[in-house]
Amino acid sequence: MASPVSVYNSNVLDAHISSTSRESLKMELLADVTLLPGEERIIDKDIIYICPFSGAVKGKVLITNYRLYFKSCDADVAVTLDVPLGAISRVEKMGGVSSRGENSYGLDITCKDMRNLRFALKQEGHSRRDIFELLFKHAFPISHGLPLFAYVTQEKYEENGWSVYRPVEELRRQGLPNNKWRITFINKNYELCDTYPAVLAVPFKCKEEDLRRVSSFRSRGRIPVLSWIHRENRAAIARCSQPLVGMSGKRNKDDERYLDLIRDANDTAKLTIYDARPNVNAVANKATGGGYEGDEYHNAELVFLDIHNIHVMRESLKKLKDIVYPNVEESHWLSSLESTHWLEHIKLVLSGAIQVADKVSSGNSVVVHCSDGWDRTAQLTSLAMLMLDSHYRTLKGLQVLIEKEWISFGHKFTSRIGHGDKNHADQDRSPIFVQFMDCVWQMSKQFPTAFEFNERLLLTILEHLYSCRFGTFLYNCESAREQNALRQKTVSLWSLVNSKTELYLNPFYTPESGRVLYPVASMRHLELWVTYYIRWNPRIRQQSPVEQRYLELLALRDEYIKKLEELRLSDSSRLADDGPGGDTSSPSPASSPTRQQHYTHLQTPF
Amino acid sequence: MEFSEHIKTANVEDVVLQQPLHPPSKGTLCITSHHLLFSDREERSGRQVLLLLRNIDAVEKSSVENLVNYFGLFPNAGRSDRATESSGTLVIKCKDLRVLQLEIPGMEQCLNIAQSIETLSCLDCVAEMYPFFYRPSNASLRDQWGLSTPERHYTEMEALHGRWRLSTVNQDYSVCPSYPPAVIVPKAIGDDALKKAAKFRQGGRFPVLCYYHRKNGTAAIEGSDKGYIIDTRSAQQAQQARMMGGGFESKSCYSGWKRLHRHMERGKTLQESLIKLVEACGDKSPNMDRWLSKLENSKWLSHVQTALSTAGLLAECVERDGRSVLVHGSEGTGSTLLISTLAQLIMDPSCRTLEGFLTLLEREFVQAGHPFQQRCSHSAFSHARLQQECPVFLLLLDCVWQLWYQFPLALGFSEALLLRLATEAYSSDYGTFLCNSDMERCALQVKGKTHCLFRVLLKPREREQYTNPLYEPNELAIWPSVHPQSLQLWRGFFLRWTQQTHHLELVQEDIRNMVIEWGKLALS
Repeated sequence: MASPVSVYNSNVLDAHISSTSRESLKMELLADVTLLPGEERIIDKDIIYICPFSGAVKGKVLITNYRLYFKSCDADVAVTLDVPLGAISRVEKMGGVSSRGENSYGLDITCKDMRNLRFALKQEGHSRRDIFELLFKHAFPISHGLPLFAYVTQEKYEENGWSVYRPVEELRRQGLPNNKWRITFINKNYELCDTYPAVLAVPFKCKEEDLRRVSSFRSRGRIPVLSWIHRENRAAIARCSQPLVGMSGKRNKDDERYLDLIRDANDTAKLTIYDARPNVNAVANKATGGGYEGDEYHNAELVFLDIHNIHVMRESLKKLKDIVYPNVEESHWLSSLESTHWLEHIKLVLSGAIQVADKVSSGNSVVVHCSDGWDRTAQLTSLAMLMLDSHYRTLKGLQVLIEKEWISFGHKFTSRIGHGDKNHADQDRSPIFVQFMDCVWQMSKQFPTAFEFNERLLLTILEHLYSCRFGTFLYNCESAREQNALRQKTVSLWSLVNSKTELYLNPFYTPESGRVLYPVASMRHLELWVTYYIRWNPRIRQQSPVEQRYLELLALRDEYIKKLEELRLSDSSRLADDGPGGDTSSPSPASSPTRQQHYTHLQTPF
Repeated sequence: MEFSEHIKTANVEDVVLQQPLHPPSKGTLCITSHHLLFSDREERSGRQVLLLLRNIDAVEKSSVENLVNYFGLFPNAGRSDRATESSGTLVIKCKDLRVLQLEIPGMEQCLNIAQSIETLSCLDCVAEMYPFFYRPSNASLRDQWGLSTPERHYTEMEALHGRWRLSTVNQDYSVCPSYPPAVIVPKAIGDDALKKAAKFRQGGRFPVLCYYHRKNGTAAIEGSDKGYIIDTRSAQQAQQARMMGGGFESKSCYSGWKRLHRHMERGKTLQESLIKLVEACGDKSPNMDRWLSKLENSKWLSHVQTALSTAGLLAECVERDGRSVLVHGSEGTGSTLLISTLAQLIMDPSCRTLEGFLTLLEREFVQAGHPFQQRCSHSAFSHARLQQECPVFLLLLDCVWQLWYQFPLALGFSEALLLRLATEAYSSDYGTFLCNSDMERCALQVKGKTHCLFRVLLKPREREQYTNPLYEPNELAIWPSVHPQSLQLWRGFFLRWTQQTHHLELVQEDIRNMVIEWGKLALS
């Protein structure tokens, strides 16, 4: 047991690591891992885990085609690790056969999810060779011609997550087509733009050949298309990549006319173009053929949002990892945190999205782009949509938002995460999606009743961003997904989520359909997402079991809603009995109203 | 003394008030002996601001401006409004951290008002303070005052009757002026011995029982078995205190006791930390990229950390190690009370209900002699020279908030209660936080002439407002995490007057109402 002066006296950490009974040790160490259907054992081995929190721990490691699992066999410290191989970024040998010192021979594993793992092995008999080679092979299957686990798993779920997002249905929900915007299938074979989805919404007046001409002037053919349209004022959010202006300042009449059509669609005097980049970066892009819209775009104003590029964000998160793992830089915690600039980047992304949302809600259409329009652009459009449209603040709505603005519009998940790829130093990797999730979390903290989902959903999404267990975040674009029959051969993450929704629901959710949420993007009101970034540190684990209480509250709420519905029904049937003019539109008492029905009822239908 | 001597101008018309969370408004300003009253001219708005003058920490007169600005705010205002006369601007900074701005037409009136506020907000005479004049219609001065007494506390704690007794050695406050008339002491020690012990302790504050751990029968404060002494000064400070006639228990004379030094900041250092923090929070410059550094430089959160970890250490000694602990600093009226209160909250579930918490505060802070009058006479904005001000009580509330934040289900009261207490400690309609000790309160008949805040907070209507809807009684100790990444700025207090914090307050209220309503209908 802890000595009295332990936790509050020194940095020794022992109070949080529970001890196990001798009895449990008698059981097979690895018997308690439940393998997923399709998951297979590759190798297991006696090993020492050099735990940064409780020191060297003897135990056994199991490697499967999906995970690395470790369990201690020490009676005093119960340590388990359960790491999807997809979360591994780098595997290195540490020390050699002749290395001196205790535990100097082993493996160093760098993870993508804010932790590193270090294992030590016996120096005799090249005990590291087989495990290193097998781990290296299965952690980076793509580099070894192996399939990702998503293609191997045999998991089955009640719900089919692939049916969550149907592009045409979503556009219809927004009120499309109308007399200003139409749905086009010009990209059905991904010929107009190979990184765009097949279904696009474009200005009604724009003909297919115009779209082709515009695509020649936009980086990678990513023409401006509709992301979202305001139901009442018809102001639109359009997204695209940078115009190919170049050093010589090229112009393209079709592109200019096209942007003016977007402005014209809701009849406002000026179209605002938000260039997510800092001004200087936009100028520098001219040298490589890109650039930004100049004065030749009449009736348009250009605003730079000063958000930095993927490399800056990667370095910032790396700095953050340095100060939180394995040990938190405690002596100057706040100034160290400040020096990572992570929260400052969050602030800039959020405040950019606020500007977009504000412009749109005041009736002005906007175009958002960065360089290629798949990183910062996705952050800005999706966050602005989250602020403007309460549908995206529901459990299913967030799924649609991610499927639409991130997955279908070609955020390069494979390149940014490096799924199954051994090249850990790839300059294309960047935590852009993590940053987006952080912004969603910041919003949910500022508006505790506005989101139907809870923090656990965000954590689950980020876990499987790396895990490669689901097809959801695989590949860079829709065309690649089609080619690889992703929907047919893999399971969607939303299948997992939607088969057990109660785990991800916020009991305090109060739908407010018309409301625009403007978070405060001030440093004073932003917080580090400790439960994500420092979740491996046993010191900051959840202090009390809130989740159980929330589940109870959800049940209580459902009970309340049921009773309320019963009261309402008995009232309306009484009214109906009283004579004509009673409310006949209410559902028949025979169909017991579920919570979902109740809420769709409360919301203004789209 | 007549209050009216200090009021040269009692009423001013056409004053423009700017306050946080509201649009500017124009109306009548009125100064009374204890209040500043502003009534909106637009009758339908019916807006009134009633501010205790005692709540005002600082008045700043800004340069005389002509009425251009004034018309900028009210473009439709008629030109007849003495457009040529100058006006003065007063910035009123409150102890609850609110900042108001008054534009007062006429320089002389403006200066008169400033003068009145400056004088009346810092009156020293306790008997003239507002609690002695506050007479709400729904309460009587004969209502019961206070929640408990040392006698009742002792009677209720049957488990300690075997080895502890109630002593009335201090019944006329002669042994220790800052202690209550009855205290709990070891049975084996007679009153004469207590008197001797008191002579050996600063301020006569001899060791008394403050907490008895029912689970294992150990006590915080004193015991006959060997235990720990937690000294809230560093070893060096304790050594220095020796030169001044104070000091610490030497090893040879107190064998079996283990001394632990935990350096806790006090007095001026703590007050200056608060001032720095409030300054950073109020920084209006748009470029806030140094915010985290400023927050760190204020050191407020590190004081929170030290307080929580020292309280954790105390609780560990008692709860885990089963030892008795004696806690002291130098006087035993500040950091000592802070950590013994926190430790009880950590260990004892009965302190975590609304009633239990208020009783704890009454016993451990009010009755135990925390000098509220001295410590809370000014807050972070005052320009007056610092005297005995020190935000120990505010630090306690902040620490309790951290517990509340880390254990959302474990405390029976809400953040709103902590905010209310943080305001009331500095300026109040009630007598609860008046004076520096029981003796002073007794001399001024506070219990007979004022109303009791704690009693009011427990009335059904108020009570509902201050309960935590998620509360679940929990017998276990709640060990706070004291790592810097686990500690948060108490935005609810320090950024209270911002739109975002206001919004979150409303949301908390919504959630409470929601849960209460679910409960009612689901169980019906």
